[in-house]
Amino acid sequence: MKLAASKKHEPAIPTASMADIAFLLIIFFMLTITFEVDKTQVKLPKTNIRIEIPKKAAYVAIDSTGRIKVSSGEDLSASVPSADEVHSFAVGVIAQNPQKDFVLKADGGVSYGDVDLVMDALKRAKVRTIYLLSEQVTVDDI
Amino acid sequence: MKIKRDAADDEIPTSSMADIAFLLIIYFMVTTTFTATRGLDFALPEDDDSPPVVEKEDSVLIEILPSGEYVVDQQPMQLSGIIDYLKPKLDANPKKPVIIRPDPQSQYKSMVTVLDELRQATEKGIKEEIRISIPTQREIESFWY
Repeated sequence: MKLAASKKHEPAIPTASMADIAFLLIIFFMLTITFEVDKTQVKLPKTNIRIEIPKKAAYVAIDSTGRIKVSSGEDLSASVPSADEVHSFAVGVIAQNPQKDFVLKADGGVSYGDVDLVMDALKRAKVRTIYLLSEQVTVDDI
Repeated sequence: MKIKRDAADDEIPTSSMADIAFLLIIYFMVTTTFTATRGLDFALPEDDDSPPVVEKEDSVLIEILPSGEYVVDQQPMQLSGIIDYLKPKLDANPKKPVIIRPDPQSQYKSMVTVLDELRQATEKGIKEEIRISIPTQREIESFWY
């Protein structure tokens, strides 16, 4: 009996679902993305309580040398010469949106006097809530 | 003459779809930053010209020295001892305000550490959230007596 010659199979990797997987990942990244408005390098203080900061909050950053940067949450942060400028900046932001939250991103080693001036500027501008940006306390810190 | 016509290809070309998708993934991966977006929230009091006058004797004063040491009601204290000191006072009067007054020369992180400790009070046996106040230097000069 003559057997039919076995058909040659072309080896192929199934790639039909590749695009589906890729688009799923795209959707994940699109949902989780938050554009960083402030790139100041600081060593944040560590806390146990850490509450999620609302998106689009305004930023005031103080680096280890005491230099101050501000951002309304929409644009990249810009340097300001003194805490008085933070006050006029905050007044402008609050005038547009009285509910706006502010984030204080200050270096843990900065002297409290510098932070005090910024906090006072925000208080005078009638800011409601400020979030003190922090890192999680880890077992190594205890 | 017989003209041979190719059957029309009625498929949508999807072979480059994955390439486009991966390009977008790479873009989002590069631009995403998983940075610290959490912190301690601190509600600021309304800034009016006549804040409620708090009698010094009615509140607990936590001072932070430039060296980072804590002085609670004139007594030097460890961070871990603050809650134990406050507990009987707050059990008697849960509305008792706690004032944090850091020295301008002290480090910012000392203030954050105390604030974090006080915010955890309810987990450490104190019934109500502590009323924390951090007056600024201007307020101290204007209203402190």
